[in-house]
Amino acid sequence: MSVTTSPGALSEPHVRRRPHQRRARLLVVFALLAGAIAYLLVEGLGSSLDYFDTVSQALAHRTTIGTTVFRLEGLVVPGSVRRTARGADFEVSGGGREVAVHNVGSPPQLFQPDIPVVVVGHFASKSSDLFVSDQIMVKHSPTYIAEHPTRVRAPDGTVH
Amino acid sequence: MSARMRSVTRWIGAAAAVSTALTVWLGLWVTPPAEVQGTLARLLYLHPPIAWVALYCAFGVAALSSVLYLWHRTRSLFWDRLGASAVEVGVVFTALTLVTGSLWGRPTWGVWWTWTARLTSTALLLVLFLGYLALRRVPADPEVRARRCAVAALVAFVDVPIVTFSVDWWQTLHQRGTVLNPGLTLKVHGLMAWTMGLGFLAMTLVFVWMLLVRYRVEVLADRIGDGELEVSLSERWAEGSMPVIGDGAGAAGAGATAGVTALGTALDATLRQPAGGGR
Repeated sequence: MSVTTSPGALSEPHVRRRPHQRRARLLVVFALLAGAIAYLLVEGLGSSLDYFDTVSQALAHRTTIGTTVFRLEGLVVPGSVRRTARGADFEVSGGGREVAVHNVGSPPQLFQPDIPVVVVGHFASKSSDLFVSDQIMVKHSPTYIAEHPTRVRAPDGTVH
Repeated sequence: MSARMRSVTRWIGAAAAVSTALTVWLGLWVTPPAEVQGTLARLLYLHPPIAWVALYCAFGVAALSSVLYLWHRTRSLFWDRLGASAVEVGVVFTALTLVTGSLWGRPTWGVWWTWTARLTSTALLLVLFLGYLALRRVPADPEVRARRCAVAALVAFVDVPIVTFSVDWWQTLHQRGTVLNPGLTLKVHGLMAWTMGLGFLAMTLVFVWMLLVRYRVEVLADRIGDGELEVSLSERWAEGSMPVIGDGAGAAGAGATAGVTALGTALDATLRQPAGGGR
């Protein structure tokens, strides 16, 4: 509309600067701000954004953890799973160490030996290495393989 | 939009529908169940392609458009409209990413939602771009609005690489990339991989189609907006008792002033009416 005053004309600064100088200054400020935010995010938040402690991490900080509630990640040790009336007892391993887990509550449908899980809970006491959990989450892998990719029936009738 | 562009849009829409239908057929009936996840793995043909569209196609277009708008040599409201259209489609796809992820998470992980880095940063992305859409509705001169929105889109876009690398930077419940992992090794094979690829193509086509249609809506809305301004201005002129003399800016100004004066007189008369005398 020709009747309206151009907003650019009103916001023109008193000190005349060339447009590209102003733009360059804005860009520098923008880059600095973005850099600062990124630095704060990566350095400041750092490991606090980690969702869980692995078995070896948890055992390394065993004394400071005490009986506080945290998430523990590990691989369900094959042969250790024992279903109980109220849940399951099993062991999780990671970094060559193992922790026994006593879980109360129904495990998710993918819960099985040899699968990575995240268990939510706490150590039973300050000296005990038994982990008491009330929730199991399954951490599956990003790999997808067909259930029976190369099922072949041998002449003798056995399935390979 | 030219007739040719409309025809291109229709063809892309048809291709999107056909490839989506093909993905559904392959995904639900032809592909085998996966080890560990069994039939739950079928969400692989939908969830990653939707996230791909949201993060890289939609917000990628939005960020690129914003840069091209802010750069003085390519400054044009075309980029502003394209960016805004891309953000709107992106917000829909981000919401769908969260919904399909949640539906997948419940049976596999055991929870609908948890505050792990990948999920939290994706939720933040949705909020950031919803903020962009809110900012767009703040009344302002089109050029001012375009500049504000372009800066907002670029700030929000900072979260996109954070979402992507969240599974590599931190320990999260979400598994690492099946495709976009550090070594870029495809961790799915055979027919499952082809179906997933088709899913990516289908969702990208859906995105392009939605973007073209949304862009056209944006142009039409702008045109209506301009038209409405003209109509209301001429109504104001008609209200004025003073005849509009001459033409150009002076006349429009005089007409608008007369209209406002007449409106003021009418309001004044209404307010001066005795209580109970109204109606």
